[in-house]
Amino acid sequence: MIRLSALNKYFDQHHVLRDVSLEVEKGQVMAVLGPSGSGKSTLLRCVNFLEKPSSGRIEIGSLSVEVDKADNKAVMALRAATAMVFQQYNLFKNMTALQNVMVGLTTVKKMPTSEAKGKSLRLLEKVGLGDRMDYYPSRLSGGQQQRVSIARALALNPEVILFDEPTSSLDPELVGEVLAAIKQVAKEGNTMIIVTHELHFAREVADTVVFLDKGLIVEQGDARQIFHEPKEERTRRFLDRALRPFVYQI
Amino acid sequence: MYELLDVQAIFTNMPKILSRLPVTLGVTFGAMLVSTAIGLTIALIKVYKVPVIRHMAGFYVSFIRGTPLLVQLYLVYYGVPRFFDYLYRAHGWFGQINFNLIPPVAFAVGAFAVNLGAYLSETIRSAIETVDRGQFEAGISIGLTRGQLMRKVILPQALLGILPNYGNTLISTVKDTSLIFMISVVDIMGQSQIIGARTLKFFEVYISVSIIYWLTCILLARILSELEKRARVYERKLVE
Ligand SMILES: Nc1ncnc2c1ncn2[C@@H]1O[C@H](COP(=O)(O)OP(=O)(O)OP(=O)(O)O)[C@@H](O)[C@H]1O
Ligand SMILES: [Mg+2]
Repeated sequence: MIRLSALNKYFDQHHVLRDVSLEVEKGQVMAVLGPSGSGKSTLLRCVNFLEKPSSGRIEIGSLSVEVDKADNKAVMALRAATAMVFQQYNLFKNMTALQNVMVGLTTVKKMPTSEAKGKSLRLLEKVGLGDRMDYYPSRLSGGQQQRVSIARALALNPEVILFDEPTSSLDPELVGEVLAAIKQVAKEGNTMIIVTHELHFAREVADTVVFLDKGLIVEQGDARQIFHEPKEERTRRFLDRALRPFVYQI
Repeated sequence: MYELLDVQAIFTNMPKILSRLPVTLGVTFGAMLVSTAIGLTIALIKVYKVPVIRHMAGFYVSFIRGTPLLVQLYLVYYGVPRFFDYLYRAHGWFGQINFNLIPPVAFAVGAFAVNLGAYLSETIRSAIETVDRGQFEAGISIGLTRGQLMRKVILPQALLGILPNYGNTLISTVKDTSLIFMISVVDIMGQSQIIGARTLKFFEVYISVSIIYWLTCILLARILSELEKRARVYERKLVE
């Protein structure tokens, strides 16, 4: 379970998140939708303190953090409870696929090397990359790199996995393999928050949806309800535009 | 008959000059080693923007880059003993050190390390900053501490980035150590001057020593490019 209560974030005067409150049940997937610049990335980055939120409360499992009182220990605890999958994959370029997945286990969790290696290899196999374990990121395609980064996120058994537009940097023909891996991870009962522009995908995997605009939650609730009969006009317009079949303009 | 030079003397004196090659290489490698530690420390101070010390580091780098190496060599050679002598006499600190017992070569290594450290710090700092921000964030998000992140992810990539620069510095340093005879360290250059003065075959001896410098630099360049090739395994691009 993860719960955010009245989360606010300012960049100087710019109020980027406004009293954001949301809750994701254990094992559920929440999709965060919204136009560009609405604060979706900032929201995810505040959860693990890549950005320090200005005020509010973050609860993950039994951990509860009042953000303006958060000390280093609380921040490290939040980071241990979460994992992030980035748009740009952000694999460590000086490590092989296997080392990328292992490093958190051996360095952060102090797991013995052989055990960490076994676990990492199983995770790489799960995302279909067992045969690429000794490849450096520069020799993997974008889709493969993103799947390694999903394995890296899974390795630390986080309470919640945060995905920030995991397919937005990929060539169209590579999107499918990554979405399939994410769907697999979702099916295994992981709690996840996904920021995505792939609405068809969101409709498939998400249990709940949050629609964000200018840092404000415009609408949130059951995914089926929001996709089929959104209450808010702004949500409806966004979904209409985004789900409308793509038309080439000449 | 009048000869341009005594070709034989070029070769007969070479072994005697070569016997001092360990001094030249020792000062070079010693200084590189110490300067790497200095450069890394200064670079990290700048990257982490450590208050106050950061400005002292900036002052140090600016001073070193703005003064000649030979002057720095003299400053260290004459200044350091004076400084410690003052501290002892005025404050009773560190005890009385007999600087006559410290071989001049130690001052040479010290001066070169201080000099190279300033230049290296800038190179290392900019190399750290070229490692993309995303890898910092990924490291932080899986719970690595800043130190672990530096050691395991950022520095290995940054140091690889400076390898060519590092190699060039090493080769320049081999040549620049020819200054250390000025503080009476007998390196290959110093030995050449001594032999030249004794035999009056200055031209021949300087030809010998240039050949030695030249071959040393060629050999080092070979070794360095081989090392670099090995270190770069992970940068090979997608081949399939
Ligand atoms: N480090 C920063 N400093 C100042 N402003 C920032 C910073 N990061 C984001 N912002 C601002 O915060 C707002 C929200 O940005 P954010 O990246 O969270 O949007 P987003 O919903 O993820 O957009 P996109 O769909 O384009 O990724 C934007 O107006 C952006 O300019
Ligand atoms: Mg974003």
